[in-house]
Amino acid sequence: MIWSLIILCGVITFLIRFVPLSGIISSDLPLSVKQSFKYIPLAVLTPIIVSDLSIMENKNFFIIDNFKLYAALIATLAALIWNNVLATISIGMASFLIMSNF
Amino acid sequence: MKKWKIFKQGVLEELPLQLGVFPFGVIYGVMAIESGLTFLQALLMSSIIFGGASQIAFVQLLSNSSPFGVIVTTVGAINSRHLLYGISMVEYLNKLSLSWRVMLAYLLTDEAYAVSIRKFINNSDNSILHYHLLGSGLTLFVSWQISTLFGVLIGNDLPEFLDLQFIIPLTFIAIIVPMIKSKSTLLTVITAGISALIFKNLDINFWIILSGLFGVLAGMFTIRLDKK
Repeated sequence: MIWSLIILCGVITFLIRFVPLSGIISSDLPLSVKQSFKYIPLAVLTPIIVSDLSIMENKNFFIIDNFKLYAALIATLAALIWNNVLATISIGMASFLIMSNF
Repeated sequence: MKKWKIFKQGVLEELPLQLGVFPFGVIYGVMAIESGLTFLQALLMSSIIFGGASQIAFVQLLSNSSPFGVIVTTVGAINSRHLLYGISMVEYLNKLSLSWRVMLAYLLTDEAYAVSIRKFINNSDNSILHYHLLGSGLTLFVSWQISTLFGVLIGNDLPEFLDLQFIIPLTFIAIIVPMIKSKSTLLTVITAGISALIFKNLDINFWIILSGLFGVLAGMFTIRLDKK
């Protein structure tokens, strides 16, 4: 079942890349449709981040001792300053480890 | 000879970007093994899907036992921006044979696009420009496969105290923060985030997709703010 899922995702990803080059669709999409594309990755990745930070568990807010939340805020700052994937992850992870162990 | 030269140029221009790509591939490999995928599944996903952020989202959702429909839709949504890449490149590639277009479509990722579109725009009368995209795309492909292999191999050997699942939101933060360049993109993030808190706690199955939809709508409704 996992294999089918991987292959299905692969086919969809390939089709997204191939369809414009195939000539099937017009390259002249409405402006509003083109504009919407820039928001999609942000709009889909943010819920995953929010969910992983466990800000709300069992319908209760979990903020005060939520070290992941604080580490994520520090990582956001690092991303703003350095714009580097490795630096962001390293600083976020180090902050989390320090806060949860001391 | 000229084809080889332009191919090599694509390779060389793509190489510096691998400093960012390689660790990302290693992280994917580690997370894939952590999520319970087999060695082969984790490794081959990098050539079957060949899309960094979407692969990490895939393994994250899989480890949370998300419905398969959510996984497929999320992967498609994350990679949907590649549709725009194709649209902006079609005028340079539409005279190529089908096999060429299939191959280049497969290689059309963020980093290859970023490097080659500049070349295309500055040399629009050159009929062998596609060799540049072949060079940049293949470089990224090779780097992604090697880094995945590296991550998959060390995936089981990392110390227990590292909460590896936490790498996923950190990776996504690293990806989205540079994309927040305007008020409308910021409002997209805020709306998608708040919606996720609400919909997930209402136990709605497709909460990621629904939150994403609200985020996109927020961006589109507030796009006028960017022009002021």
